[in-house]
Amino acid sequence: MDVSNRRLGPRLALGALLLLALVYPIPLQFSGYTYFQTVGFLVLLNAMLGIGWNVIGGWAGQFDFGPQVFFAVGAYMAALLLIHFGLNPWLGMVAGVVGAMVLSALVTYPLTRLRGHYFAISTVAIWMIAQPIGATWELINGSRGLFIPVQAGHGPLRSLAELQFAGRTKALGYYYVALGLFVLVLVAAHLVERSKLGFYFRAIRDDQEGAEGIGINSRLYKVIARSITAGVYAVGGVLYGFWALAVFPEQALDLNWSTLPMMATVVGGIGRLWGPVLGAVILIPISQLMSTTLGTGPLAGRGIDLIVYGIIIILIAALRPTGLLSLPWRRWLGWAA
Amino acid sequence: MALLLQAIANGLLMGFLYALVAVGLTIIWGLMEMINFAHGEFLMLGMFGAWGLSVAFGLDPLVSILPVGLVMYGLGVLVYRLLMRRVQRGDPFTQIFATVGLLFLLQNSAVAAFTSDYQYLTNTLLTRLSGAKIQILGINLGIPLLIGALLALVLFLLLYLLIDRTEFGLALQATAEDREAAMLVGIRPQKMFAVAWGLGAALVAVAGCILANFFAIYPQVGFPFTVLAYAIVALGGFGSILGTLLAALVVGVVQSVTTVYLPPAFKDAFVFASYILIGLFRPQGLFGRF
Repeated sequence: MDVSNRRLGPRLALGALLLLALVYPIPLQFSGYTYFQTVGFLVLLNAMLGIGWNVIGGWAGQFDFGPQVFFAVGAYMAALLLIHFGLNPWLGMVAGVVGAMVLSALVTYPLTRLRGHYFAISTVAIWMIAQPIGATWELINGSRGLFIPVQAGHGPLRSLAELQFAGRTKALGYYYVALGLFVLVLVAAHLVERSKLGFYFRAIRDDQEGAEGIGINSRLYKVIARSITAGVYAVGGVLYGFWALAVFPEQALDLNWSTLPMMATVVGGIGRLWGPVLGAVILIPISQLMSTTLGTGPLAGRGIDLIVYGIIIILIAALRPTGLLSLPWRRWLGWAA
Repeated sequence: MALLLQAIANGLLMGFLYALVAVGLTIIWGLMEMINFAHGEFLMLGMFGAWGLSVAFGLDPLVSILPVGLVMYGLGVLVYRLLMRRVQRGDPFTQIFATVGLLFLLQNSAVAAFTSDYQYLTNTLLTRLSGAKIQILGINLGIPLLIGALLALVLFLLLYLLIDRTEFGLALQATAEDREAAMLVGIRPQKMFAVAWGLGAALVAVAGCILANFFAIYPQVGFPFTVLAYAIVALGGFGSILGTLLAALVVGVVQSVTTVYLPPAFKDAFVFASYILIGLFRPQGLFGRF
């Protein structure tokens, strides 16, 4: 009984979650509350980015404030390839991922000489350098940004192929694309976590000298970890760019692309596969909830949601820095042996 | 050439202000080895403090230095007592989360209270002197910036004497060096850390009072200063007070000279490129001792 319970419980929960995620937008589609589909899209996007951030931040233990650079690389590459060569956005996404991973490897290798807080600051530094480049580089149209030529208005299959949904099904289409990419990233992260790679990452985090002592090249594996993060961020960047139909530096290089997924990861449980997912489900709707409840009142648009984020993260840091998933859920749910 | 010399002179003056911005972080990060990503938020609060006192009571920001500094000292101590003391012994990353949370809380509380609009101080001593300048060897020095820089330098040197020449400063350095040994000679580390946070917050808020004369005041003003301060502390050799001053002057000059030749957007890019290069090739900083 106990043994089967231990396996059955989590599997049932996983199945139920997947079903819920699949069914969630359908009643909203019929009732016309498509806004909440967009909330779901943002939750999935941030959860995906959080899973990506968790690879470098949670497993390899290197705090990264600059992955939005690779978010921008993905978004810009797919947009440029579409505008200049008419390349399909899915191929553009592959190109963006490869581009972001290569750039990340080149930039991160020298940075891995720095450790701890100094590495963290150096990722901020790279972002500070990327901003004026993004704002002035003529190839990517400087601070004016790029607009993605609208091609929507076709059937669902062609919309999916062109990654452009419009009208009443816009929110629905992007929700399911985000769900598909999220599941892909989650499965990939699960495989990495179980592989030798995941073991090396955690070994470096827990004891860098010890890891080097058993022959793990810590600089190489930090570079690999950050490049995986960069790849996930590039996927997110392409998705967001096509959703917004525009890519410009202040949007793509927004610091919130690293702070929100990072907070989600910390709230849910840093270094745990499902940590960023739980965190995103808790944090992201707060923003949307606030803007609907505050309406047009005096406190609307005054950052109340971000104050709540700040308080949550402070409380987590002070009371349970290992995150909500580290609470003894298995015992509470009766899944423990 | 004249343009370059002029840029260097302006950069040096800004550098004195940056030194006062960064030195609080030198104490918290460099000496006491704690992280604070809300450093610039203390500066922002200082700027709003100066703005509020000026609007409500007509106090000049240079006079507000005293009340703002005292209040912010208290806030710094409070932040340590209530929050940082709890996360100090755990995983070092916990300090990053905690202070990023603090950043969000403080910055957006300011948005809630004052909106994101830009505020400017107009009727202050320094702004009334704007345009006044003195000429030395063909270089124009704006009087307001000159006064601000001198004031920052005086405060900076007072702090240097406090840390380097007084019994209290030695106790602080001893705590930074070895907590257990410091306890054995009767120093209470908790108290020293609290004072370090108080001083760190007060100093950067005082810098904010001076900067309020020259910069727009708005809730998001802090973060760029935070990262600038990190670059300065690292360049100066962590924990070296005079190193911080020299590094701040270098940063001011690099910024100012960059804007002569490149679009202003690049003024910080070169500072951070030098942070990375120096981190890679001279990890003890430009002026570090170890």
